[in-house]
Amino acid sequence: MAECRITANETLLEIRNVSRQFGGLTAVDDVSTTVKRGEIRGIIGPNGAGKTTLFNLITGELRPGSGKVLLNGEDITSLSPHVICQKGLGRTFQLTFVFPEMTVLESVWVGLYSRKKHRWDLFFSKAERSKDVMEEAIEICQLVGLEDRIYERASNLSYGDQKVLEIAMALSTGPSILLLDEPMQGVGPKEADNMVELIEKLSKRMSILLIEHDMDIILRLCHNLTVLSFGKVIAEGTCSEVGMNKEVQRIYIGEEM
Amino acid sequence: MPEWVVDVLFLLMNGLIWGLIIALISLGLSLIFGVMGIVNMAHGDLYMLGAILGFSLYPIVGNFWLALIIVPVIIAVIAGPIERYVLRPYEGYHSVTMIATVAISFIIQQIGLATYGGIPKKMPDPWPISFSILGVSYPGYRLLIAAISVLILVAVWLFLYRTSFGILIRASIQDKQMASAMGIDVNKVLISTFVLGSVLAAIGGVLAAPVTQVSYLMGNDVALLAFIVVIIGGLGSLEGTLIAALGLCSLEGVMAFVLTPTQSKAAIFVIMVIILMIRPRGLFGGKER
Amino acid sequence: MTHRRTFALGSLAVFAVLGLLLPSGIRSLVIQIMIFSVFAMGYDVSLGFTNQCSLGHSIFFGAGAYGAILTIMHLKAGPVLSLFAGLGAGFFFAIVLGIVCVRLSEAYFVIVTAIISAVFHLLAMDLTWLTGGDDGLSATIPPISLGFAKLSLYNPLVNYYFVLLFLALSYLFLERVIKAPLGKIFIAIRENEKRTQFLGYNVLGYKLIAFVISASLGGLSGALYALTLRYASADYFSFYWSVLPVVWCLVGGLGTLAGPWIGVAIMSLFQYYVSAWFTYYLLLFGILVLIVLKVSRKGILGYLLAKGAK
Repeated sequence: MAECRITANETLLEIRNVSRQFGGLTAVDDVSTTVKRGEIRGIIGPNGAGKTTLFNLITGELRPGSGKVLLNGEDITSLSPHVICQKGLGRTFQLTFVFPEMTVLESVWVGLYSRKKHRWDLFFSKAERSKDVMEEAIEICQLVGLEDRIYERASNLSYGDQKVLEIAMALSTGPSILLLDEPMQGVGPKEADNMVELIEKLSKRMSILLIEHDMDIILRLCHNLTVLSFGKVIAEGTCSEVGMNKEVQRIYIGEEM
Repeated sequence: MPEWVVDVLFLLMNGLIWGLIIALISLGLSLIFGVMGIVNMAHGDLYMLGAILGFSLYPIVGNFWLALIIVPVIIAVIAGPIERYVLRPYEGYHSVTMIATVAISFIIQQIGLATYGGIPKKMPDPWPISFSILGVSYPGYRLLIAAISVLILVAVWLFLYRTSFGILIRASIQDKQMASAMGIDVNKVLISTFVLGSVLAAIGGVLAAPVTQVSYLMGNDVALLAFIVVIIGGLGSLEGTLIAALGLCSLEGVMAFVLTPTQSKAAIFVIMVIILMIRPRGLFGGKER
Repeated sequence: MTHRRTFALGSLAVFAVLGLLLPSGIRSLVIQIMIFSVFAMGYDVSLGFTNQCSLGHSIFFGAGAYGAILTIMHLKAGPVLSLFAGLGAGFFFAIVLGIVCVRLSEAYFVIVTAIISAVFHLLAMDLTWLTGGDDGLSATIPPISLGFAKLSLYNPLVNYYFVLLFLALSYLFLERVIKAPLGKIFIAIRENEKRTQFLGYNVLGYKLIAFVISASLGGLSGALYALTLRYASADYFSFYWSVLPVVWCLVGGLGTLAGPWIGVAIMSLFQYYVSAWFTYYLLLFGILVLIVLKVSRKGILGYLLAKGAK
């Protein structure tokens, strides 16, 4: 089981009474939770519970009907996605969402370049010439284990590698919190292991909010859990606390915790 | 009643009736876009084909109403293979499909020019009776256009909302992948939608032929108006298209009382831009953020 | 993509040599091909690099032509200045249009740009005091004064190399932009717009930049066309001029910068020879487009490059 290694009691991301409706359907219903610095928090729940919608609300793709989202104390609720990203929130998507015709190195480069404050070279210098950015891109590729495939087109990568590229791209923006939407989905056991190791490595540098279905992975990685069902938070706490919650047990009948 | 009021009502009536024809055409366009994702640049030319065929068949069959029934059949026979063999291979590649419809538009226009000639012609009035409304005589044929258009719109509504195939078509507008995954034969839906859309445009053409100039270029202006209607109403929204068509054409009709044709066109255009700035997906279209 | 570069530079060299060898009839045709290549290449930035399928580029072409002719007629400008006036006109209208349209989603963008272009066409036909309507405006083009000599554009060779110069300059400019970070951002937007947004980029802003660059080149080509024909007419705003760039790019190869030149060459040669013996040549034009699209969706250069990469 993951140990709680929260270094400071500082709240990095706060979701306060966030709701969102689509027509008559309430997808997210008055959800509140926090992610502290250094924490790995898992969001779990049955399909359709509103987990990905919650991510979309946090990252600015959707606007909440009510409630607030705060990053480092700053209200980011109505900001556009690219601004929220610049403020330090990185995200991966459930299905692989890459740049098919760009190489791994180029894809990571794009994320890194967006961190540059003053883009005087936007128009005229060769992209390859910005050495510092290139070096950092290679470092990130090494960190995630894609260093021997940096010149491959993203469309030529295996599914598992594309998932890793997703994470590399999210990393390249230098986030202080990483939102991972089912990073292991559809990935083989060995690759899943590598990814778990990677996420553990990353958690030392940034907070992580993780949507996952696989209980083993959840238990291995997460300090705390938030359980969603039909858009509502039905339980929150450490893995063991949540495991003893009657509601949660009802939903996960048959799962051993 | 003061004369200017009668004049305005007259213009409003004309605008509304023209709006019904435009509603038929725009509905076809909206369906084709909603279900197939295709911006059909040849839609105006299907309207033109309907008008030209109606014009040409009238002396042959002697009866305008018979022509009204035969033309949709001819158009269906033409539209079906176009969808199946020209458009379907590019499914999913929207700019390519759109250019393919542009190519089809050129082809249809040139065929029209070659067979019908370049000179605009007038068609005789199929129902030269006038009715006295509010002390002014109003042409009977225009009232007939209104009646027939309303009948067709109701028929289309019944088809889309009350028959099982209609439900399939609406399901495909919502989510084509989902529809396919649920076992719906999407190909049948595609070809039917394209044929239905084209037939609606062609019927609009036949109905419009007696009240406008029939020429091989007549599709261009009408297509422009249909596109504006569909944008304002919201792509893929059938109610939006209807409301926008009736509203816009009535407005344009009434504006003719005070503005020149160019000025009213400019006014319509400004309305469209304003609506787009406030709602980039039209009045009833698509998801908001 | 060095193959693309080789092709482009090679073509420019071929153009340079052909200018001296060709008989005058074909030479005029090649001048037109070069002018339209500027237009097509610019359009590729919009469609091929940022997936913005505009059907309104006739606005910029027409504005560029009138920018050139009007500055010559009313401001007594020289050819080079009038070219920049044309480019500026394209630039200006692109910003105005772009602010309204770039935010629109795919299909809306296509339709609205088409609508606006139709409206511009109607206006141009109407405002005959400004545009000469359908009949258009003719102007006498003053010579280019280089201090030590005067070059008259009425000399076909001068005209030819003048156009070639600007084709080369436009190409070199675009090559630079595509190789630069800006170009990579464009490609990222094309490959996955949402992803790019979630990497911290203001995608709308970048799409606007691409649109404006594309339109400015449209304006430049309109100006070159007006200078070559010494004439501008409201007809330049017609839908046909909005459709042509799309066809050139689809036929020649999207996202390759020089691929569209092939599209221009094919369609122009086709029009030159076929319209001479067949009145309804647009019919064959439509059929040709359908055939080419059937053979390869990626366009000819795209197809060749893909084969080469395998």
